[in-house]
Amino acid sequence: MATEARSERSIGSERVREALVGYAFVFLPLASFLVFFFYPLGYAFYISYFDWGPLGKIESLGLENYRDLADDELFHRALKNTLRYTAIVVPLQMALGLSLAVVVNQALRFRTLFRAAFYFPALASSAAITAIALYILASDGLLNALLGTEKAWFGESGTALESIMALNIWTTSGTMMLFYLAALQAIPTDVYEAAAIDGAKSWRTFWRITFPLLKPGHFFVAVVSVIGSLQVFDQAFIVSGGGGGPNYSTMTVVLYLYNTAIEGVRFGYAAAVGVILFALIFTLTVVQRLVFGRMESA
Amino acid sequence: MRTYSLLIITVGRGGRKRVKRGNVSLKLGGLVVVLILAVSIGAGASAGKRTKGQGPAAANAPSGTVTLSGWSVGATEEKLLKQVISAFERSHPKIKVSYDAIPNYDQAMLAKFSARRPPDVFYVNSEKAPTWIKQGLILPLDSYIKKSKFAVAPFYPKLMTAFRANGKTYGFPKDWNPLVLQINTAMLAKVKAKPPKTWAQLRSVAQKLRSAVPGGKPLCLAAEWQRMLAFVYQNGGSVLQGNKPTFTSTKVRQAVEFYVGLQKSGLGDQASKLGAGWCGEALGKEKAAISFEGGWVYPYLPENFPSMKWKFFPMVKGKQAGTLAFTASYSMGTHSKNKEAGWELIRYLTGRTGMKLWSSKGLVLPARKDVKVKPPGPSRAPLLAAAASARAWAWPPGFDKVWTVANNELGAVFEGKQTIPAMLKKINDEAEDALN
Repeated sequence: MATEARSERSIGSERVREALVGYAFVFLPLASFLVFFFYPLGYAFYISYFDWGPLGKIESLGLENYRDLADDELFHRALKNTLRYTAIVVPLQMALGLSLAVVVNQALRFRTLFRAAFYFPALASSAAITAIALYILASDGLLNALLGTEKAWFGESGTALESIMALNIWTTSGTMMLFYLAALQAIPTDVYEAAAIDGAKSWRTFWRITFPLLKPGHFFVAVVSVIGSLQVFDQAFIVSGGGGGPNYSTMTVVLYLYNTAIEGVRFGYAAAVGVILFALIFTLTVVQRLVFGRMESA
Repeated sequence: MRTYSLLIITVGRGGRKRVKRGNVSLKLGGLVVVLILAVSIGAGASAGKRTKGQGPAAANAPSGTVTLSGWSVGATEEKLLKQVISAFERSHPKIKVSYDAIPNYDQAMLAKFSARRPPDVFYVNSEKAPTWIKQGLILPLDSYIKKSKFAVAPFYPKLMTAFRANGKTYGFPKDWNPLVLQINTAMLAKVKAKPPKTWAQLRSVAQKLRSAVPGGKPLCLAAEWQRMLAFVYQNGGSVLQGNKPTFTSTKVRQAVEFYVGLQKSGLGDQASKLGAGWCGEALGKEKAAISFEGGWVYPYLPENFPSMKWKFFPMVKGKQAGTLAFTASYSMGTHSKNKEAGWELIRYLTGRTGMKLWSSKGLVLPARKDVKVKPPGPSRAPLLAAAASARAWAWPPGFDKVWTVANNELGAVFEGKQTIPAMLKKINDEAEDALN
């Protein structure tokens, strides 16, 4: 407050003042971020070295939780399912999101209506959507009526995870569309004009101009999509009633973490699962950054 | 206070007059004072309440508010529970009960335990009891039992075992339900069959019923050990002897072969394959003629499928009678606040009067031998008769994962992707891990 008394200020002190004001503005959100995000994150690392229950520390285990995870077959199964899920969902989600974005970026009639309609599934709660999907995909449900089959889509290990994949690709496509739409609108129109003058057809324009210029969009969407896919939980939880069945097909890492913590009341072990998931997401994000960064400089 | 001065600067930079800043800081200061006051008053109030319940004054009748929590139940059951609670409040005018049904029960309760603020009285599922007891979350009730001379003998001993550990009692069963048969009696009459009593009859009746269940199967068979284990008990088998898992024993294998054999020979299938979420629904939709569920199909079946004709029948027998019982207790937490009054509530709810009222509507069975009720709906005699042979679903801590593996393996066996001996070996290994 003392700064106010001065009539002339040096640039330096002006900067300090500005920085202070800046921090003052972010103080509350930053504080809540530190308290409710960073502190629990650090704490999860801490308790992963213990046998930890609801009443706190039971026993120090060192790295034993991690060693146990190394031979935990159920965890391996969960990890495998989650990685397979991510490998299939992310590209399809991005492709669908991009296609929808390109469509609603055109000067169509009722463009706003389409934008809203495509985004709508992202607004509905995933639990509600999954509950409806349970009816549609039931053995006597709508889908089987259309196909003339009697398959229990969520009830068979060959199709349970795939059904969740399809469901999630559809529900999140609206969000991906929104991200891509923003990226599309950031591309200056003069490049398209130049391409048109050079006689480029629309397909060629898309692949040679739009697609490469969307690089920052691709990076962002890929990162968001990978993180979301690795954390898949609610659909897997609902369709299997928490058991991850049939035949482990819908056991995901976060579902396993939840079961370990809530059913097994092994908070330390669950924290170790969380730490591994964190490491996985962190590594994949860094890798994506490197890949897309190289593309940008190329 | 630094925070606040920083905030004031921002307000100042926003173009306001300096006088205004003073006001803001005054307001903020005031707010802080109010907050501090509010917090200390709140703390004082709750401290006062605590001494009321626990202090030396407890020689008088316990008083205060008792918090009671359970998982969310259907509207019929919640209404009944509220009636029982108000009956308690009438007979104990000094105690007020504040009841809360908690969705996501286990998750929410673990958070409450961690915060050391569990409700005074709450439900504990027999499946969860050993783990929660081991974690020190549940209060042993022995001193209260002794002090108030509460009679333990009238409770079915097999239900009590779920809530006992290290020679101590951690809760009293609020009610229970065994697995028995539910049979669509119209379908049974159509093929002129009698209700099955043995494994062999179950097979032959199911054979006859094939024609009576168009688009479905005679039996609804859950791919869950929570159902199949009853057949293991009927075969004289068990999956745990002392601290040693015995999943690979002959008696277990035979029972599993029989149960899975019913599915393999096309006499039954899982609810999901019959277009239902669970076997009660499959029975209601007439996609199955026989299911192995408990008393909880009432009032679900008459409410949702009023025209379907069905009854309870005793569980089939193998070498011996055997079935599973599912139960939950009323317990108190190690850190519950109003324990004296909480015990009064438990004593009432699991006592003769409370239990009678609670089981009068036929939603559950009384956990006490000395309570006889005549509930509406189909006869409960087959359920009550199961008391002698039913074993409670309660397992050592860490067994939850064993059952996750076991049910997934059983699902794989149903799908033909796993063999029975390989499944049993895998479950046995998992159980050995859990017990070590």
